[in-house]
Amino acid sequence: MVRLKKAHKYFIRRTILFVIIMLIALFINFTIPRFAPGNPIGTVIAMIERQGSRFENIQEVIDTYETMFGLKGSIPEQFVRYLSEISKGNLGYSIRYFPVRVSTLLGRALPFSIFLLGVSTAISWALGTVIGLFAGWKSESRLSKTFSYVALILNVVPYYMLALVLIFLLAYVMAIFPFGGAYAGTLKMDWTSIEFIKSLLYHSFLPSLSIVITSLGWWFLSIRSLIVDLKGEDFILLAEAKGLKESRIMWKHAFRNALLPQLTMLALSLGGVVNGSLLTEMIFSYPGLGLLLFESIATADYTVIQGITLIITLSVGFATFIIDALYPLVDPRITYEER
Amino acid sequence: MVHAGRGIREIFRSREFTAGFIIFVFLVMFSVIGSALIGYPPMATVGPPNLSPNNKYLFGTDSFGRDVFSQILHGIQLSLMVAILVSAIDTFFGSSVGFVAGYYGGLVDTALSVIVDVMLVIPLLPAIVLITVSVRKVELFLMAMILGLFGWAAPARQVRSQTLSLKEREFISMAKLSGATRSEILFIEIVPHMLQWMSAHYLYDMLWAVLTEASVEVLGLGPQTTMTLGMMLYWVIRKAAIFRNLWWWWTTPIITMICLFVSLYLMHRGLDRIVNPRLRGRR
Repeated sequence: MVRLKKAHKYFIRRTILFVIIMLIALFINFTIPRFAPGNPIGTVIAMIERQGSRFENIQEVIDTYETMFGLKGSIPEQFVRYLSEISKGNLGYSIRYFPVRVSTLLGRALPFSIFLLGVSTAISWALGTVIGLFAGWKSESRLSKTFSYVALILNVVPYYMLALVLIFLLAYVMAIFPFGGAYAGTLKMDWTSIEFIKSLLYHSFLPSLSIVITSLGWWFLSIRSLIVDLKGEDFILLAEAKGLKESRIMWKHAFRNALLPQLTMLALSLGGVVNGSLLTEMIFSYPGLGLLLFESIATADYTVIQGITLIITLSVGFATFIIDALYPLVDPRITYEER
Repeated sequence: MVHAGRGIREIFRSREFTAGFIIFVFLVMFSVIGSALIGYPPMATVGPPNLSPNNKYLFGTDSFGRDVFSQILHGIQLSLMVAILVSAIDTFFGSSVGFVAGYYGGLVDTALSVIVDVMLVIPLLPAIVLITVSVRKVELFLMAMILGLFGWAAPARQVRSQTLSLKEREFISMAKLSGATRSEILFIEIVPHMLQWMSAHYLYDMLWAVLTEASVEVLGLGPQTTMTLGMMLYWVIRKAAIFRNLWWWWTTPIITMICLFVSLYLMHRGLDRIVNPRLRGRR
């Protein structure tokens, strides 16, 4: 009973905190670009004039655009309208691709990011976990120690640096893989066609490899230290005393117990999925959120930048909230007490 | 003094710290002595573009005819300056918040903890992107301030929980009984206990600052008027140096940065082992 009561309090506390954080994030996202120098309407009008159109009734046009970009009225009024538009999924219009909506651009880019990061994270987690399991079980061997040092170094190398090296070796020198893009230029984007998926996998190999290699070390080290700790526990010693086969002890006893924290870490990292691939995408011109962000920064497309930062903030914030709420349920050793 | 001497000897007994320290000193010496001997301004066109390494331009020139060697030397200094500044803000400001929240407790603690929780959940890269984009003209000092704004929450939380547990120890009750005031206890009894931890964190935070600064710059949000290691990589990507076989332009900043990361990481790990003896047996 006491435990449940505490759980209740903890959950409410977390929820309130989550709501506060999301409101602050939205507020920052709303405020900062409004203090920035320059205005989007001038840019759009200049762009349209450059294409040869002339405006007779310039004031009317400015009025219309102010409404479209949500710049009409006082700042509090604007903020309320901004919130209500966002709850409807409307993120406004891109400045560069006006009149394309920001949500359209994001909708086009997001599947690529989720695909690239989702697949890479799954592969790297599975590989790192299995290698780390063996390395932790035989932690005294020379091979295991060498692996740990390699993993430590990999852990500090940023993934985009490895991406540059890989693109040089495998795309430039050996020319096995394409320089960039997500699919062959001759194909149309169609997530149901086999040709398209084949081309997508081929083009995603290098960016994915750079992410897998650099994040492998993290999973490796995490499960290795879990296993090293578990090896000293009584139930492992008991299993050994009972004369069970070593491989059975490793998989059935040690691995099972290490799996839960390892899975939790995976869940935690999923929140950062969108966040993690920004620079890799940029280097491989992979048409996900990262490349969109890079291009929007280069062309000062503020509304799109705002949309991307908002999506990342919301996804990371939401994932953290879910994990925080679920973690004590999954692992009874962790209590709901306040830290 | 004797005490300090012993502490330093103990630190250098750690092989990891010593290895990291040697690389670090080498990088600093390389950068300082190098820029004293070879005085090309890093941003100026000093020769023909895309020249491979030769006697005059040790690491060749980039696509703008700028000397890559000078850019590297300059970049190391700037990266370290930013790192030291950011780490100073984070470690001292963050620890102070942690001490105050943990030691005084009550309403102060609740208020500070909420702020810390909020800061910890805001995703770093998008927030920094949003701020730098709005500011438009980013100078290196401003970049350090922005990084500092986002880095202090983690040490604050850790120092707070350490202070909470230190507060309950016997020697604190002893000090209270002997009539020490609250601030005396905080500064004489609690803060010195955390100094070692703070120095280990200082190094870790420097690593974090160098890494984050580089990522922001590679995205194209760095300072336009100076040449940092991250800005070098940005231009490498913008000018497709890899596909034009200008290997001297892109390998040198990468190797330099990895040396910098590894040296800071090794020093941090070495210190961390000494601070947390629990980690010592682990490999």
